[in-house]
Amino acid sequence: MAIKFPSDQWIKELCKKLNTSESYAQAAATWEGDNTFIILPDADYPDTTYLYINLQHGKASDARQLKSLDEKKALFTTSAPFNTWRRVLEGRLDPIQGIFSGKLKLVGSMAQVQRNPKATYELAKVAGQIDSDFGT
Amino acid sequence: MNGYLGKILRLDLSRGRLWDEALNEDYAHTYVGGSGLAARYLYDLIDERTDPLGSENPLFFLTGPLVGTSMTAAGRYSVCARSPLTGIWGEANSGGFFGPELRYAGYDGVLITGRADQPVWLSVIDGQAALHKAGDLWGADIYATQTRLREELDDPKVRVACIGIAGENLVKLAGIANDHGRFAARTGLGAVMGSKNLKAVAVRGTGKVPLYAPEEFKAITNQILAFYKEDFQSQSYRACGTAVYVNLGHMLGDLPIRYFQLGEYASADNLSGVDLAEKFLTRNTACARCIIACGRETHSPTYQDPKVDGPEYETIGALGSLLMIFDLEAIIHAGHLCNLYGLDSISMGVTLGLACELFERGLLTSADTGGLEIRYGDPEMVFRLIELTARREGFGAVLAEGNASLAERAGVPELSATVNRLELPMHDPRAYLGTAVTYALSPRGACHMQGDMYTLDLGQSNLGEVGLEPGDRHENTFEKGRMSARLQAWRNLYNSLILCQFENPGVRPLLAALNASTGWGLEADGLITLGKRIVDIKRRLNFKLGMNKADDRLPDLLLKPLKEGGAAGYKADMPTLLAGAYAEFDWDAESGYPLGDLDL
Repeated sequence: MAIKFPSDQWIKELCKKLNTSESYAQAAATWEGDNTFIILPDADYPDTTYLYINLQHGKASDARQLKSLDEKKALFTTSAPFNTWRRVLEGRLDPIQGIFSGKLKLVGSMAQVQRNPKATYELAKVAGQIDSDFGT
Repeated sequence: MNGYLGKILRLDLSRGRLWDEALNEDYAHTYVGGSGLAARYLYDLIDERTDPLGSENPLFFLTGPLVGTSMTAAGRYSVCARSPLTGIWGEANSGGFFGPELRYAGYDGVLITGRADQPVWLSVIDGQAALHKAGDLWGADIYATQTRLREELDDPKVRVACIGIAGENLVKLAGIANDHGRFAARTGLGAVMGSKNLKAVAVRGTGKVPLYAPEEFKAITNQILAFYKEDFQSQSYRACGTAVYVNLGHMLGDLPIRYFQLGEYASADNLSGVDLAEKFLTRNTACARCIIACGRETHSPTYQDPKVDGPEYETIGALGSLLMIFDLEAIIHAGHLCNLYGLDSISMGVTLGLACELFERGLLTSADTGGLEIRYGDPEMVFRLIELTARREGFGAVLAEGNASLAERAGVPELSATVNRLELPMHDPRAYLGTAVTYALSPRGACHMQGDMYTLDLGQSNLGEVGLEPGDRHENTFEKGRMSARLQAWRNLYNSLILCQFENPGVRPLLAALNASTGWGLEADGLITLGKRIVDIKRRLNFKLGMNKADDRLPDLLLKPLKEGGAAGYKADMPTLLAGAYAEFDWDAESGYPLGDLDL
């Protein structure tokens, strides 16, 4: 059954999938940093939603929806309008293209991101494997 | 004349004569500046009979209408001549402060002809030019040369463009250095300078560039500066230099490894710009009015190099992964040696890469090299060969002729990694198929600075107004060929303005800046028209110098798909891609010659 995106259930499902992905574990072996995904409102989605996940050395934990950014300070934030996230999850926008074009706005350690581009790719790949319900 | 000083300094070294000449305003309006304007001037001055190392080959230092203004990342100058390495159009440009200072000294450019009967250097101080005997400056490295000329002129703010011993020895891989270790590196123009017995040009001035609308110009440059504070790429370059691309380039199959024959290799990730920043960076360095500051000043404890310029991404690839050297300190040192002697690290690395490959295949033996065993992964040998090349000693005299010459000498031209005899930079055309078009059609031979498809297809999305949109990097279509050609026009405009290619705030801000500088009142589509015209004049000039459509090709080596990595299985469909590019440029499909009329 499809899982609503964005939601607490969705980020928990991502956490589960990341922890069973060997390719993510390998690609993100040196990754250290939690991330809050910020889903911004657009024509198809009225709210701002915060999804937090802790990512350390190829493993994920503590995934949950936050009420606000103040609830948990993450090392990285990645923000984009709902439909941009949807394009990434449906494989229509390459996540690296998204970051470089500014469509996905990433804030955090440049060094960490640039040192581990495979981790970003694999994260997006695993997220794209979730059967997501975008509500439209 | 807004945006210009309106003056070219002419120097006839054979007669020791210096004079001012009015800038040709029609040319400036039509070809802008930098390499575009130089191509228009040189179109009338050189032909197939011009010996690149003869006194008749003019050497042109040129700036553009944004250089020396408050525009960020516009601190560049071009050097142009017929290339001794390639035999075709030669151009190189460099950042730092030399370009702006030349304008403050009162000139848009310096056009040098003839040959001095003994080594000399030129000073240009606030409109006053003079020639000086170089004496024992001949033989000095590029750092000592710059220091000594500042002392000689008793002014620490003097900016110097100079050659090292490689240029003096007419090594065809020699570049021209300025502002410590910045280089107009490509196409061997340091050898042209050496052939003229000209060691250096020192400039200093207090003038200003006249602007059409100074207040508007200031507002737009402030807007551009604000853009960089948010821009992801700019922040990345600031943090880790151009080497920030090493890991991503490796993942995508864009970083060449083992002489363009391996698509991935785990140790390549050890060459990360992040590691460079964390372990060896002393400080960032910036060109005039640039807030990105991608420049690296590094140090190497092992090799006792306390102050090194770079290495940047290209040097890390050319003197590192290409040669199977995965030790950043060794690369820092090899890059430093190239700097000291005044060598283009890309051409040097690619020529050394071929030497390693030939040795590997038994096509080169120690009997050919004066007893040297040239193997992949041997930094000490690289250090030695760089020095031998700069001095043209032993096997270095062979390497000094470049990669294409070495491949021919070994009887395997198909192993040459060059286009029109210029060594390939560190972007693999199998990773971004549009790059194949860029390399094949670049007016100076294989060159990433004539159209960085890796930037566009990586997501640069603010150029839609000039028809440039990011796409699938492995698209092998007529349209991709068109896109690559359009990007080549765009970057040729950049190389004429002259702007750093990390300056990418979008079409509108650039258009506004150019109009506020010159008062030309251009529209967005006028920018691509200018760029295409600049490509066109260089194309016509290259045909005049003996090139033809058959030269629009990639080396065989790069048409074999890689077996592993992010570019595995891909190769460019050249006929399809080139057809798209010809259509975009309006070139005859049969002859490859431009169909338009430039009224030359």
